[in-house]
Amino acid sequence: MTVHLSRKYGFFAAHRLHAPGLSDEANRALYGKCNNPNGHGHNYEVEVTVAGKVDPVTGRSIDLNLLDALCEQQILAPFRYRNLNKEVAEFLTGNPTTENLATVVDDRLRAVWNEWFSAAGPKLEKIRIWETERNICQVEGQGRTQHES
Amino acid sequence: MIISKKVEFSASHICRSPQLSDEENLRVYGAASNPHSHGHNYIVQVAIEGEPDPVTGMILDLKHLKDILEDRILKVYDHRLLNVEVDSFANTVPTVENMAIDMWKRIEAHIDATGRARLFSVQVHETSELFVEYRGEA
Repeated sequence: MTVHLSRKYGFFAAHRLHAPGLSDEANRALYGKCNNPNGHGHNYEVEVTVAGKVDPVTGRSIDLNLLDALCEQQILAPFRYRNLNKEVAEFLTGNPTTENLATVVDDRLRAVWNEWFSAAGPKLEKIRIWETERNICQVEGQGRTQHES
Repeated sequence: MIISKKVEFSASHICRSPQLSDEENLRVYGAASNPHSHGHNYIVQVAIEGEPDPVTGMILDLKHLKDILEDRILKVYDHRLLNVEVDSFANTVPTVENMAIDMWKRIEAHIDATGRARLFSVQVHETSELFVEYRGEA
């Protein structure tokens, strides 16, 4: 039986919304106070959802210690207490909107997923990121996985 | 009787004292001493003490309170790098403790329009697991 298990993580980070392809004036108009050159910050929450078969012996669908270690390595350690624009490779010239952040998290997990879990094991299904309680973005990875390339 | 109101904002800060060495800053503040800054979604809860007006049934005008919090806290703190953009922190580290004290100073004198209410406490929640409460000087 396949189940869908979600686990939540959190980190605190600073960012600034600024689209390199737009003028300073257009950026101010589009992003408002989020375009403040000094940046601002959030208590981010990341929810990782995996689909897996329940092992009849253990009753588990995924080794949570492994998932925790993977997320720590790929997401939490590089993002925690960081200024995303200045310290995370994807955003040095990119724009850390919640949408782009969700995509980067998805990409970072997917890039090494097969090194951590077997082919018959759990699949990465969905990433949800809370920037604030009211600002949430979801990425479902179908169609953009390394397994297809 | 105490009535409380919450507001939220997002800001970045650097927990680093110019009076300490790099090693000492790292020891005291840990990863929060990162000079590139990091940030939080802050929740501020102010508590006002007083008795309800016998006519209106209210301790204070909530629109008045909302305007004070908007003008004197949110306009100053929201979407700012606190160390650089809030003058109180030019020489003071914007820890959650110092933020609560600064907010108290910014709003205390403006709470009471009627003589009926006074500021009782300012709580600043930095994360869901950490907050401080300041009740003014005894």
